[in-house]
Amino acid sequence: MKRFSQLALPYIAWAVLMLVLPMGLIAVYSFMEHGNSVIPFSFTLEHYVTFFTDPDFLLILWRSIWIAVKTTLLCLLLGYPAAYFIARSGEKVQNILILCITIPMWINMLVRTYAWIGLLSEGGLIQQILSFFGLGDVELLYTEGAVLLGMVYNFLPFMILQIQTSLSKMDNSLLEASADLGATPRETFRRVTLPLSLPGVINGITLVFLPAVSSFFIPKLLGGGQYFLIGNMIENQFITVGEWNFGSAISMIMAVIMMLLMMLVRKVEVRNQGGKEE
Amino acid sequence: MKKGNRSFGKILMAVMILFFYLPIGYMIVFSFNEGKSLTSFTGFSLRWYRHMLESGDMMEALYTTFSVALIATFVSTVVGTIAAIGLSKSRKIVRNLVEQVNNLPMMNPEIVTAIGFMLLFITFRVEKGYMTMLLAHIAFCIPYVMLSVTPKIRALDPNLADAAMDLGATPWTALVKVIVPQITPGIVSGALIAFTMSVDDFIISYFVTGRGVKNLSIMVYTMSKRVNPSINAISTLVVVIITLALVLINVVPLIAARREKQENTRKRRVLPWAAAAATAAVVLTVVLKLGGGSLDRPFEGQTLHLYNWGEYTGENILKDFEEATGASVIMENFDSNEQMYIKVANGESYDVLVPSDYMIQRLISEDLLQKLDPELINCMDLLTEDVKNLPYDPGNEYSVPYFWGTVGIVYDKTKVDEKDLKEQGFNIFLNEKYKGDIYLYDSERDSFMMALKALGYSMNTENEQELQAAYDWLVQCVQTMEPEIVTDEIIDNMAQGRKALGLIYSGDATYVMAENENMGYYMPETGTNIWSDAMVILRNARNPKLAHAFINFAASYEGAYDNSSYVGYTSANQEVMDTLYGEGGDYEGLNSYMPRSGNPMDEVFVYNEKTKQIISKLWSRVKIAASNA
Repeated sequence: MKRFSQLALPYIAWAVLMLVLPMGLIAVYSFMEHGNSVIPFSFTLEHYVTFFTDPDFLLILWRSIWIAVKTTLLCLLLGYPAAYFIARSGEKVQNILILCITIPMWINMLVRTYAWIGLLSEGGLIQQILSFFGLGDVELLYTEGAVLLGMVYNFLPFMILQIQTSLSKMDNSLLEASADLGATPRETFRRVTLPLSLPGVINGITLVFLPAVSSFFIPKLLGGGQYFLIGNMIENQFITVGEWNFGSAISMIMAVIMMLLMMLVRKVEVRNQGGKEE
Repeated sequence: MKKGNRSFGKILMAVMILFFYLPIGYMIVFSFNEGKSLTSFTGFSLRWYRHMLESGDMMEALYTTFSVALIATFVSTVVGTIAAIGLSKSRKIVRNLVEQVNNLPMMNPEIVTAIGFMLLFITFRVEKGYMTMLLAHIAFCIPYVMLSVTPKIRALDPNLADAAMDLGATPWTALVKVIVPQITPGIVSGALIAFTMSVDDFIISYFVTGRGVKNLSIMVYTMSKRVNPSINAISTLVVVIITLALVLINVVPLIAARREKQENTRKRRVLPWAAAAATAAVVLTVVLKLGGGSLDRPFEGQTLHLYNWGEYTGENILKDFEEATGASVIMENFDSNEQMYIKVANGESYDVLVPSDYMIQRLISEDLLQKLDPELINCMDLLTEDVKNLPYDPGNEYSVPYFWGTVGIVYDKTKVDEKDLKEQGFNIFLNEKYKGDIYLYDSERDSFMMALKALGYSMNTENEQELQAAYDWLVQCVQTMEPEIVTDEIIDNMAQGRKALGLIYSGDATYVMAENENMGYYMPETGTNIWSDAMVILRNARNPKLAHAFINFAASYEGAYDNSSYVGYTSANQEVMDTLYGEGGDYEGLNSYMPRSGNPMDEVFVYNEKTKQIISKLWSRVKIAASNA
């Protein structure tokens, strides 16, 4: 019996090597003066100071968070009604709809984003449709709108699936009970359905916000080379500038911000569950 | 009210599904397009499929994607299941700790995880390539497998294994015969998640790969700068494979369930898995079959690792070289000398590189190159005197020129007043008449070259005030002119006439002008960069002999002609240059094809460590300013 616990030992060693150590290395690099070799190590806070004292960097960080917030809100706004509709459908329809939403997720993200380039570029389908309505001269590709569209497109399925899962777990007799007790459909939704779907909403928000804030290929493909988010800044430091120490510092900053946000979200979740049990 | 909600829901669902499938459908349609355009459909053709099948690169990427995914799924499923079982019997504190650690790749932004892996491999000097990609994939897949297996284990009766062992089973038998069958659904869904994650992965793969190993995502990312309908073709192929697999997974059990009403859950759950595996196996064999063919050739079975600029080789040269020598070529592309340098300086091994003049000087001074073996080089006499014996490598001890040219302004004759160009030179990029209608090129050296020349300074200045002035010039440009900062995208976009002006390399201008007669190329009188790119062999090259053979091949008439006629850059091969520029040549009389001589303001880049660092930092600031503008 106890012998089974030894089965975990190799994995623990592996996890230390492959999951913990890399994070440790980023931390070490971020506090290191210059150069790409760990020895000799000389401690500095320079990279963090550079980041936090420069309005341009802070603006990029802010813009990355802001566009991720917008993406998340849009996904929630579009995803919730969709998930609700799916969850309220019969089992067969439900399965088909879920399949419809899952299939695109299986197709490579880069490929799907690339397809938008043709759709959005000058003379492309979208512009032709817009010009039909007399809006022909709008530039679409390489704008912030295109980036937002790309993000919503890529991450919306996560939101729908998460909310749908938690909605379909809900016991229908709860709704009947609520109606029997005299609640209007609106009240039922607000006081029964919505609170019960909250775990799904929170999971959905996490799954959308996290990749949106750090994405760098969506801004690069749809926003063009002059559109920089924090993810592009990290990529740039590692791939073209070669300032790995500074790049590591930005990575650390981003990881810490994300961790704090996740803890906050968890807290909301816990409080909500506490409320439910009362 | 309820009815109203339903129909609203139906409309929403319909629009949403249209939204999800629109790009996919568009891609499929345009994969059959006869022309190169991504916006207008000119006729049905299978040419992009042919192109895809002929391109070893694409098939290789497909193979890498699926082989990495299958192996990573298998390993992570086995390891993850075993670890989850072990952990369920471990002490609580250990369990919680591992759970926290497993959260790292799931809760961290993916780019942070990716950089962690990259630093890990580089710190421990593990050569980046297929193995590192596989290891990273296994590492980020295991936590997902464990996440889906663990609840199933928790739901098991803890006495089950004991009971089995009391009845005489060995621990191993108890594990395989009792526990695993009970948690199969969790294992299967874990495996499916792992497979999806791995097939779809870009960010982690991108940072941990090396030596030209690419999966589909990396390929699309590096190729997407120019219109390339083959991407649509290969994407369509992927769509077909995935859809088939998914349909099999979803439909087969439905049919099975209908046929025999009585439940046999286990069989049902195994079926989709088997179906997915079978599909994948078919794909793999198809892909693998495309390799092969063997004759008696000098480098049979050997591999050349080539690290070259994007869009810098002809259509046939690599294939011809492979056929002639029996070797296979793996090419990786870079966007800038700086990007290439970082990889090379971190010890990645390539056989042949094609850097620019100043970068060759730097690589020589840092002892990263090996001297060419004069016995093995037989092509020097074919090259034009203009590019031999240049200051970056006197006597060409290390390098054999490949392409050369200038930097200038590509402009749309119908939109740009040529008088503006003549009077303002590079300062035309500050002329608000052309606001929102210009491209800048994402190259730190040449952007600063442009600014310095516009201000009348030398592009090799070491004066920090002049560099600062150039920085201010560029910031003013990005803040007032709404430029788009591009790399190879400029080629197709200018050929389509999308903007009025752009900073461009002469070779790209040649291509643009050959495609669109409204386009012109102008070199400001205040001088420009006369550059040359040359082939060199890295000190840590694995196969220097083959590298020499490739250099000779690329410099020979056939190789150089294919390269130059296809991409538009000026060949270093004298005869090729004369043929293409002369009467009846592809680029007859185009001023961009024949680099300017005789302007005393024209310069060649010289490498200087200190200015390089300043420029590098300032250029990334310019881009940030552009983004925040």
